[in-house]
Amino acid sequence: MGNGWLMALVTSTLFNATPLALAAMGGVLSERAGVVNIALEGFILLGAFVGFYFGLHSVFMGVLAVVVAGALFGLLHAFFTQKARMNPVVSGLGLNLLIAGATRYLALRLFPQGDHIAGLSPNLFLSLAAVLPFLLVFTLQQTKFGLRLRAVGENPESARMAGISPILPRYMAVMLSGICASIAGAYLSMADAHTFTSDMSAGKGYVALAAVIFGKWNPLGAAGGALFFGFFYALQTQLQINQYHLNWLGVEWTSPFLLDCLPYVMTLLALVSVIGRATPPAALSQEE
Amino acid sequence: MKLSLNSQSNLFRAVLSILAGFIIVGVLLKMSGYSPLQCYQALAEGATGIRSGKPINLSDRGFYIGSWQGNFSPYTFAQTLATITPLLFCGLAIALGLRAGLFNIGALGQMTLGAMTAAFVGAIGANGSLKPVAGSLPHWAHVPLTLLAGAVAGGLWGALAGYLKAKRGVHEVLSTIMLNYIAINLANYLAMHNLKDPNPSNMAAQTGLIAKSAWLTPIVAQSSLTVGLLLAVAAAVGVAFLLWRTALGYEIRAVGLGAEAARTAGIPVSKILIKTMAMSGALAGVAGALEVMGIHHRFVQGTAGDYGFDGIAVALLGGSHPFGIVLSASFFGALGNGANFMQIQTDVPKTIAVVVQAIIVLLVGLRFRRAESKKPLVLAEEGWKDG
Repeated sequence: MGNGWLMALVTSTLFNATPLALAAMGGVLSERAGVVNIALEGFILLGAFVGFYFGLHSVFMGVLAVVVAGALFGLLHAFFTQKARMNPVVSGLGLNLLIAGATRYLALRLFPQGDHIAGLSPNLFLSLAAVLPFLLVFTLQQTKFGLRLRAVGENPESARMAGISPILPRYMAVMLSGICASIAGAYLSMADAHTFTSDMSAGKGYVALAAVIFGKWNPLGAAGGALFFGFFYALQTQLQINQYHLNWLGVEWTSPFLLDCLPYVMTLLALVSVIGRATPPAALSQEE
Repeated sequence: MKLSLNSQSNLFRAVLSILAGFIIVGVLLKMSGYSPLQCYQALAEGATGIRSGKPINLSDRGFYIGSWQGNFSPYTFAQTLATITPLLFCGLAIALGLRAGLFNIGALGQMTLGAMTAAFVGAIGANGSLKPVAGSLPHWAHVPLTLLAGAVAGGLWGALAGYLKAKRGVHEVLSTIMLNYIAINLANYLAMHNLKDPNPSNMAAQTGLIAKSAWLTPIVAQSSLTVGLLLAVAAAVGVAFLLWRTALGYEIRAVGLGAEAARTAGIPVSKILIKTMAMSGALAGVAGALEVMGIHHRFVQGTAGDYGFDGIAVALLGGSHPFGIVLSASFFGALGNGANFMQIQTDVPKTIAVVVQAIIVLLVGLRFRRAESKKPLVLAEEGWKDG
């Protein structure tokens, strides 16, 4: 375990944080506009699927499909929660279920053998994940759109009084949120695994949401949260790759099963320690 | 986060959602080159066990286990009933949470730990043996003990999420999702290490067989149908009794209708949230124990299946009412087992049933928000009328 191991851990942290950070930006957008979005998980899976499937034809098609699909499903979530006044958790769970079932079905139908694609460089996604938080800070703080988005998230009633309909900023925010999360999914299938496997999102959408809370609904904070959780994903992988063994008190701590728990345990611990000191956008906790 | 839980509620709209689900998926099936009618025929045959004339396919694997009674296969129908059992338990678990305004997405983890604990307690008297042994406890004691163990494990896991919500403000959707992953990995770890099946030929993460004194015997030969179904129906009656005939149930519903108002009325909201999650988890835990005692007779990887998530659809379609849930669990059980059979008959992946389920969840979701926003007062009074 020399320097190489440490370098591998750092690199692995960055790449594990990439999809989390991208999805977390989606979470920030949606939640700052006052729309709970647990559909991030499904959007990641969606992006992974369409990115891979259309990426089989050409990378450009793949990227285009990822953006379009993310936008469409984001709009769907916005429609369900805003227009149809559906409970956002129900809408999110329903969409997650729909995407999980549909992609599993389509994967079996379209590529039962499990093809591979050349895809895209992971560095591309990493750079995007590094730039996006700053872009988002600027958008939220400095632009009219950002101001309106925050206004409808903090206090939809006052926004309405000021002549801002919550509908448009929210639709925009949730649509962009869908795009961000599906790009996160595209990273998984196009740049990381180079293939699609069903349920490959494996809870990353929920972890990304935890990163949003961890980062107090702030883009840079959420990116920090993504790095934090990314580190534990990386640690888990590195320990497994290196087949490092630790048996203490009769427990095989380095068993793959226990290592797999690591990111989830840390997410839970992080949530326990941060909440109470973090104030969510007011409209989120509002019982509409 | 109030849900409209109008019980006489438009069964009509639930049926419409189901129909719409089948139509949309029918189009999807047609587009991917199947014959929807043939698929749905196979689905119906698998769900009911009734053969309509000659078999669609020559290969009738799965349908012919056990004996035929005319055109009826008791085995196939029993499998549908067996699928209803965990769905009913998980649906009740989630509905109980919803009544208190909680989304318990953690039935999967609670069920998994219930199954693992049942496999541990069920193995009392069977220690280290490779073949099923009678066990040292009498049947009448071992069965309830094992069920109780499952309930306690699931209940504690649920209570943990309840505690995190009530005392730490961690949203239960996030905590239960994380607890699901942790529970599954913990159970698999135990099945791979400390409680691993001693059989030298076994490489998988599974525990040894439980003692025969903790087995539930199938009601129909070779099927998975056990007395568990009766327990599930009894649990539905129990949850209904709890909600509308006890003080605790009243408090649960009050918290669900508005935590702030309930607090003002002097209801200890935190305690109620924790208790509700504990009971919710216990129901899921029993479902896990039943899978171990009646079907696998040991813990195997994936014992809990998808029932934890299916339970969400069951609860929502059933309007979070125990008796509605009996109906919706029956529907989803029929759908699930029918889909298994359809996969064998027509090669349509059974996961298509998940798509039907998702569409139903979304359409039913549309329904209750609208109903609620129109007449909020009726909703608030509903609890009193129901009783």
